[in-house]
Amino acid sequence: MRPRPIIEVGLPRILAWCLLGFLFVPILVVIPVALTDRDYLSLPQDGISLQHFAALADWSKGWLPSMLTSAGIALACAAIATALGVAFAVGAWAAGGWWPSLMRILLLSPMIVPPIIYAVGMVKLWARLSLLDSYTGVVLVHVVLALPLTVLAIGASLSNLDQRLVQAARSLGARPMTVFGKVILPNILPGVAAGALLAFVASWDEITVTLFITGRAVVTLPRRIWTSIQDAVDPALAAIATVLLVITVLALIARSLIERRQRQRL
Amino acid sequence: MTLLAIEDLAKTYDKVTALTGINLSVEAGEFVTLLGPSGSGKTTLLMSLAGFTTPSKGTIRLDGKDITHLDPEDRDFGFVFQGYALFPHLSVANNIAFSLKVRKWEKARIDARVAEMLSLVGLDNLAGRKPRELSGGQQQRVAIARALAFGPRILLLDEPLSALDRMLRETMQKELKRLHRETGVTFVYVTHDQEEAIAMSDRIAVFNHGRIVEIGPPRDLYKKPATHFVAGFLGENNFLSGHRADDDETMVEAFGTRFSAPLQPRERPGDVLTIWVRPEHIRLGPAPGDGIGFRATVVENSFVGAVERILLRTSTGEQMVATLRSEAHSEYKPGQVVECRIDPAAIGVLPSE
Repeated sequence: MRPRPIIEVGLPRILAWCLLGFLFVPILVVIPVALTDRDYLSLPQDGISLQHFAALADWSKGWLPSMLTSAGIALACAAIATALGVAFAVGAWAAGGWWPSLMRILLLSPMIVPPIIYAVGMVKLWARLSLLDSYTGVVLVHVVLALPLTVLAIGASLSNLDQRLVQAARSLGARPMTVFGKVILPNILPGVAAGALLAFVASWDEITVTLFITGRAVVTLPRRIWTSIQDAVDPALAAIATVLLVITVLALIARSLIERRQRQRL
Repeated sequence: MTLLAIEDLAKTYDKVTALTGINLSVEAGEFVTLLGPSGSGKTTLLMSLAGFTTPSKGTIRLDGKDITHLDPEDRDFGFVFQGYALFPHLSVANNIAFSLKVRKWEKARIDARVAEMLSLVGLDNLAGRKPRELSGGQQQRVAIARALAFGPRILLLDEPLSALDRMLRETMQKELKRLHRETGVTFVYVTHDQEEAIAMSDRIAVFNHGRIVEIGPPRDLYKKPATHFVAGFLGENNFLSGHRADDDETMVEAFGTRFSAPLQPRERPGDVLTIWVRPEHIRLGPAPGDGIGFRATVVENSFVGAVERILLRTSTGEQMVATLRSEAHSEYKPGQVVECRIDPAAIGVLPSE
C-alpha cells in the first residue's frame, strides 16, 4: 500500500488548515469592510455599498494619482535595479575571485541596515543634493533598496549556469556582447524576471524611507494610505486593499497557468 | 607542413609553475594527443591554444603568425569540452548553427551546413531536440558537430570521452578517428588515458610536471621509450634493477642472469641500471628457444579474460608480471619454479633514477 502523504494524516492536517486560516482570514476581512455603507471602518450594517470603490476612481480624492505615481516609480525602479543587477551579477559570475564577493556584501547591506537609519541618512544627503521630494530622489532610493533582491535572484539563476558556455561561445566566434545576448541572457531570463518583479514590489510598498524624503510633490500610494490613516480611518482603505488583493490573486493564478503550460510542453 | 608551432611556452599561476619550456609543432591534418597525469599541464596548454588562458612566456604561431594574444573568437579553433558545454536553451540544430549565425552566413547555407554536420555525426533525426533530452553519447556528437561546423583550422578536444562508460568510449574513439579522417581537420586531443592516446593518435606528447617528457608516434613511445616515466605511463611495464658487468662492457647483469644490451657509452662498469620488460614479452615454460633465460618462482596466477597475469619472483627477489594468452595457460601454481625467456630485443635499459 502506498504510504499516505503526511499532510493527509489527522493532526498535521488540522494544523495545516489552521495555519492557512491564520494567514488568510484577516486578509479576507477587508472585502466585507470595503463594501460597508458607512463612512467609517465597519462591517456593512443596512446593506452593501460600492461608494468606497467609486471614491478610489475619483481623481480629486488622490487615490488614483498616487497609484499612478507609485506605478511609475516602481516601473522605473524595477528597470534600473534589474539592469544594474544583471550587470553586476553577470560581471561577478564571469570574473570570479575575491572582489565580487566584497562588492556583493556592499550591495546587500541595504537588507541589513534598518530602513529607519537609512532614511535619516538619506534625508541629510538628499537635502544637500536638492533631491528631497523629487521623483528622481525616490527612484534612486528605491533602486538601492531593490538592488539586493535583483542581485540575489539573478545570481541564483547564474549559479546553475556552466561557466564553460562562455568559453564555448567564444571559441565558436562570438564576441563578449554576443555571448551575453545570445547565451547568458536567455539562460537567466527566469531569474531576471523574478528580480524585476521583486524590485517592482519592493518599490510599490516601500513606506519608511519614502515618508522621510517626500512631502507634497511626490505622493506614492503607501504615503497616501499613511496620510488617510492619520486623518480619519476611511473605508476606502479597505477598498484599495481589496483591489490589490484581487490583482495579486489574479497574477498568481496567471503564473501557475503559464507554468503548467510550460511543463506540459516539455 | 607545420600548421601550429609552440615555442618555449610557459605558464605560472602565483608562483606555481603549470607549464614550462613547451616546444611542439603540429602538422596540418595531424592527430596529436597531449597525454599526462592530472595536473601535468596538458589542459593548461590546450587552454592557451584556445586563447582561454594567456601564457606567461613564449609564442604560439599559426601558419607562422603569432596568435599568442589573439582573442579566442578570432582564432577559428573548434573546442570540445569535457562535459560538452552545449547551450541548454538551444535545439541541437541551433547549437550547431551558432558559429554560422555569428559569422552571418545566409540562412540557406546555414541550413545546408547544419544538415551536413548532423549526418556527419549520425544525428539527422534529432535536430529539434534540446541537449537535456539527449544521452551522453549523443550530446558528445552534438558538441563535436558544433565545433566542426564552421570549418575550424584546428579542433581542440579536452578529455571529451571521460564522462562516457567504457563501451561508449570505445565506439566514440572509432567515431573520432573517422571524423578526423573524413574532415581532414587537425586534432589536438587532451587525455589522461594512455590506451585512448595509443589507439587514436598520430603522435603523442607525454606530459609530466609541466613539461613535455617525450614526443613521438605511439608505436615508438611504446617500444622505445627514452625515459622511465614514459616506459611506465604508456602500457604496463616491469622495472627491474641491474648493473653493467665488471668484466664485459657490453653485458648487463640483472634478475639472476646476464645478457648483452644496448648500453650508452657514458655508462661505466658497475653503474646501476633500470631494466624494463613488458609483461607480454616474458615467455614461460621449458620451450626451447633463444633469448635470455632465467628462473623465477610463481607468486600468483590470475585470470583476467583474454590473458592470464602471472606474478613472478626472480632469484634476486624482485617481482615481475608476465601476461600469457589464456588458451596457452595455466598449470602454473604459486610456489612453482619456472623457466622464463625474454627476447633481447624486447628489453630496455635506462640509466637508473
